[in-house]
Amino acid sequence: MRVPGIIFASKELLDHAVNEKTIDQVINVATLPGIIKASFAMPDIHYGYGFPIGGVAAFGEEDGVISPGGVGFDISCGVRILRTDLGIEDIKGRLEDIMNVLVLSIPRGVGSKGKIQLSKNQLSQLIVEGVNWAIKNGYGWEEDRFFIEERGKMEGANPDFVSSYAMDRGLNQIGTLGSGNHFLEIQVVDEVYDTRAAESMGLRKGQITIMIHSGSRGFGHQVCSDYIKIMQQASAKYGIKLPDRQLACAPLNSPESERYYGAMLCAANYAMVNRQCLAHWAREALEKYFKKSQEKLGLNMVYDVSHNMAKIEEHNINGKMKRVCVHRKGATRSYPPGHKDIPEQYKNIGQPVLIPGDMGRYSFILVGTEEAMDESFGSTCHGAGRLMSRTRAKKSIQGSELKKQLFKDKGIIIKAGSMSGLAEEAPMAYKDASLVVDIAHNAGLSKKTLRLRPLGVLKG
Amino acid sequence: MMIKKYKYIDHISDTGIKFYGSTVAELFESAAGGMFSIICDLRIVKPVEKKNIEIGGRNIDYEELLILWLEKLLYLYEVENMLFSKFKVAKIKKMSGKLILEAEIYGEKIDLSRHDIKAAIKAPTYHELEIKEDEIKSGWKGKVVFDV
Repeated sequence: MRVPGIIFASKELLDHAVNEKTIDQVINVATLPGIIKASFAMPDIHYGYGFPIGGVAAFGEEDGVISPGGVGFDISCGVRILRTDLGIEDIKGRLEDIMNVLVLSIPRGVGSKGKIQLSKNQLSQLIVEGVNWAIKNGYGWEEDRFFIEERGKMEGANPDFVSSYAMDRGLNQIGTLGSGNHFLEIQVVDEVYDTRAAESMGLRKGQITIMIHSGSRGFGHQVCSDYIKIMQQASAKYGIKLPDRQLACAPLNSPESERYYGAMLCAANYAMVNRQCLAHWAREALEKYFKKSQEKLGLNMVYDVSHNMAKIEEHNINGKMKRVCVHRKGATRSYPPGHKDIPEQYKNIGQPVLIPGDMGRYSFILVGTEEAMDESFGSTCHGAGRLMSRTRAKKSIQGSELKKQLFKDKGIIIKAGSMSGLAEEAPMAYKDASLVVDIAHNAGLSKKTLRLRPLGVLKG
Repeated sequence: MMIKKYKYIDHISDTGIKFYGSTVAELFESAAGGMFSIICDLRIVKPVEKKNIEIGGRNIDYEELLILWLEKLLYLYEVENMLFSKFKVAKIKKMSGKLILEAEIYGEKIDLSRHDIKAAIKAPTYHELEIKEDEIKSGWKGKVVFDV
């Protein structure tokens, strides 16, 4: 180990949710060259492959590495929240109809055709221009870009470094939700902890919001696959000893890293455009249902975060500002009030941190803090974290049973492409997001703003 | 009818399989069947359309060849919108420093009215990836974890 491993957790979480193998993964990351300060794990830590899920690690520009396995296959997977001017009373008795309109409007992915078919040229433009491409082509509002990390466009994306396989997989998947833990939810603001921050986001108790969780689809998966292979060879070439092949990496100043970073940024742009298109169709669906314009319905962006990324950022290292490559694998940026990279509207409160929970309990909005900058390279948790394997979840409950139960007990309406896939996502398979969020809050990694409760859930 | 030569491994966040074969070629067939069985019940996937596959690489081992094979199948699944249920690996050979696999695979176009897509596999990972000779059963065995 070159640096210590630091896990943010409560005793309860450590005892029940973190096993030895997961801690080994934190240790493995701590052996990588050029790692600074510590190998961190956020409170939603769980066993992954290579890096743990919830892992954060920063590497020096001169002596550090970049590892595709430290970003993950779903590059720039993330969360977006839209607000509405609707209150819970406005959708009472109408939720089933609203969900049915959404089902028809939101493409789910493989097997169903995406609404956008791109040429290779168009895809090359999209992955360079990011959300600007979407807005130019009518998917969304001009101002949306200001409420997305990096304003919806990663500079430095280079399509020359993307394989033809990745391009092929990207052509017909833009604007598709995908399955697994990805979803679109109609939620209600259930509890407000910080009125000032909530007001800055245009949110109050009882208000309806829309949350979208999706990523870079087959395009990003292929970029990661391609470069993990390249990095296997590169690790050997540069004499980097790996405790786990999934941690394959290359020095930040190597040609292999330059190529991976350029391709990975393309995937990040793809992911942000994906969520942009999904949001656009959700807006259109509500517009159609309520027969009111998107603007009149107040369907503004709250924010959009990516939680599987590596970014070159400036951080204070022993009193000096230095450029470092921060890997967040299942971790969210948590920038403090006043930071130059957060929207004007949030300058006083800090960057919104969007935390999706399971489909039966809660999701959260938090804001970034100075402590996170000091402690964890401006990072915090990204979700609830799994507690139970998919196989075990499926053995415990059937999808159709779960659907009935959630409606009977909580009035939650579920629309899912696969009942077996739904069972894997059962609430009991996850930790209670509130436990995770409380640890992040108490450790100062981010500050609780409000809690959201799911009303309608659309799964791929 | 394919004989089931794989079993699932319980991994907290993802899904893995252990797979078996009396030869390396058979081992690769089992891995492919195991992977597609995570996506869909193979009993309802008709092997009516055939595709020929040739993949390979320089300086790679069986593990890396397995990753290439599974990635290629996932690529065809997504790009051609097809599910596969029958895999015939004709040969796995070493030729002038390259390791090459040739196969015929059989399946059909996805039809959502018949096929329940249970899970999407993002990729096979190198994590705990393993292929080795099974001395007791005088055959081969392997292990792979998928990001789902």
